[in-house]
Amino acid sequence: MIRLLGALLACLTVGAALAVAVLWRPLPVEDLPLRVTSRLAEAGAGHAVTAVLLDFRAYDTLLEVAVLLVAVVVAMALREAQPDGPDRMGLANPLLRAVMGWLLPLLLLMAAYLLWAGSSRPGGAFQAGSVLAASGVLLRLAGVGFNWLDNPLRLRAVLVLGLAVFVAVGVSTLIGGRQFLDYPHEIAADLILVIELALTLSIGLALVSLFQLAPPQHTGPHLPDRRRRTRR
Amino acid sequence: MNPLPWLVALPLTGAILVFVLPGRWRAQVSLALLVPVAFASLLTLAGVLSQGTQSHVLGGWLAPLGIGLRADGFAAGMAVLTALVATPCLVHAAFSLRTKAAREGFWPLAWFLWAALNTIWLSADLFNLYVGIELLGLAAVGLVALAGSAQSLAAAMRYLLVALLGSLLYLLGVALIYAALGSLALADLAAHGAGEPTVLIAVVLMTFGLLLKTALFPLHGWLPPAHGGALTPVSALLSALVIKASLFILVRLWLTMGPGAMPVTLAWTLGLMGGGAVFWGGWMALRQTRLKILVAYSTVAQIGLLFLFFPLVTGTPIAAATLAWDGMVLMLAAHACAKAAMFLAAGNLVLAIGGERIADLNGVCRFRPFSLLCFGIAGVSLSGLPPSGGFAAKWLLVQSALASGQWIWLPVLLGGGLLSAAYVVKVLASALVEGPVSDRFKVPSLPLDLSAFVLGCISLVLGLVAHTPLAWLRAGGPFAGGG
Repeated sequence: MIRLLGALLACLTVGAALAVAVLWRPLPVEDLPLRVTSRLAEAGAGHAVTAVLLDFRAYDTLLEVAVLLVAVVVAMALREAQPDGPDRMGLANPLLRAVMGWLLPLLLLMAAYLLWAGSSRPGGAFQAGSVLAASGVLLRLAGVGFNWLDNPLRLRAVLVLGLAVFVAVGVSTLIGGRQFLDYPHEIAADLILVIELALTLSIGLALVSLFQLAPPQHTGPHLPDRRRRTRR
Repeated sequence: MNPLPWLVALPLTGAILVFVLPGRWRAQVSLALLVPVAFASLLTLAGVLSQGTQSHVLGGWLAPLGIGLRADGFAAGMAVLTALVATPCLVHAAFSLRTKAAREGFWPLAWFLWAALNTIWLSADLFNLYVGIELLGLAAVGLVALAGSAQSLAAAMRYLLVALLGSLLYLLGVALIYAALGSLALADLAAHGAGEPTVLIAVVLMTFGLLLKTALFPLHGWLPPAHGGALTPVSALLSALVIKASLFILVRLWLTMGPGAMPVTLAWTLGLMGGGAVFWGGWMALRQTRLKILVAYSTVAQIGLLFLFFPLVTGTPIAAATLAWDGMVLMLAAHACAKAAMFLAAGNLVLAIGGERIADLNGVCRFRPFSLLCFGIAGVSLSGLPPSGGFAAKWLLVQSALASGQWIWLPVLLGGGLLSAAYVVKVLASALVEGPVSDRFKVPSLPLDLSAFVLGCISLVLGLVAHTPLAWLRAGGPFAGGG
């Protein structure tokens, strides 16, 4: 009861403080959106959001990609410590398998489009990566394995690709005597596209890995191989 | 070449390399990479000392459109301190980690942790600092979880939730400041932030978020199980460096807002919470029966001393404020070295006795005197005995309290020292009692003992040569004129 009251009091205080802060806020001294549009022509992307994410504030994005990779590293380490269970990812659902045959090309096309569109309109690596990850999750649920990625070295190489390309671009700008991630203007758009392509693959695989690395559930109402076992 | 971006790029490269490499190569490559990273840190400090504050314009876009890196004496000093503390910890890890999950997971996470720390020391942008603490927090949580036991997983989960809440409060503040000023650069906060109620509320919210992450009493509940239950080199890194990062951001925010911009009542609240931490943490440390949990509670206590900085610099004469600054940064550096040394030494003792119980230390003195000596050296600095860095720092804080007339902090400083001496002596006493006649203890390998020994010696020497690093850390900051 005391805890509840305390939490309530804290919520009310923070809420009141927020109300004051929002209602009595001053006029901003800077107009960043205006600055972004006025410098957009010099950036390597035609869309303001992409320009902020991959040019003006590319350093933040680089670190955010690192955050995603850390999540996968932790999941891998924790999975390593768990006892191995049988792979029960697949649902015994023939319909899903059949539909995936139609859906998969569409999803891949969608991901490619989102990646490409990012340079001039809403889209980009994170969206394309999410769509890619969704198709990966659906494939797993349909019981399709990725044999190509069973090799741990290959798996880790693709996971790290986005961050590695990003850091490599940054380091090569440094070695070339420029500032970190200061793309030369004539190839800025190409560099951003290369980074986004690598990011899309890594983000997609990272999200699928997080799904796949979830520990095996030992109890469940409708697991396909348990049904098989009882039948036997 | 400007070393600032390398301080982040090199650890990130290390993380990428060791993640791709097969497990057996990870330790060797990491140890080889220590050299260039430490070199870049020293180069940054040398640059700051010879040419003043260093900066780097990321992407070639000037703030507020882009993000700036900035290194003054405090930032460069923290980068050097990170290298100084992390090097022995990584050496210890290379020789002490046993399970496959720990040996493979530790190295990429440790390098990400280092990259995040350097990001935070160098950042001149509020949102970039948020990304920094997010990366730092997640890497730290992952490192805690590596221990693999059910308790450490629970501790890691709790740590994750607290760290998320802290990050969200910080992010809320960032959003408010962006709404009020239209800019995320620290320089704009310094120029236009003072006197705006919205900015003030934002900084207060951020302060509480950062207090959660720094584990200041009474928000410390997550720390002892997380730090005490982690693998030994992880405990050392977390207690020595990770909680200092959120404190660093807090100090940066308050100093950026300028003298007198933050309310005195809030500063006193932080000071009183710090006083509570000193007594509660010390008392709880004294009551523990397990070695590493005792050391973790000692961290709770020592954090409190660092927070005496806030009342001592808010609304006090510049002489007292400068003394408080010197005392706080010296305490920070001495605690980082001494606490890392103590965790490493405690880990070695735990390895020797094959368990966590302090009572089982009986007889260690006769058979593993060097491991015990390392623990003792760290204890000297932690309890503030001369000539250690801890002693010099407390002396400066006492001077500052006297100069500003804030007598109330004297019992905190003196009583805290007594309590920490008491819990260090409790461990030593148990180890000095004669135990079994035959040597039944395991042998920690020499690199394990040496890494603890080196860190302990650094924390001792810090007290003797304190004026030099203090002058470095003042460079380019608001207290550059003092001393």
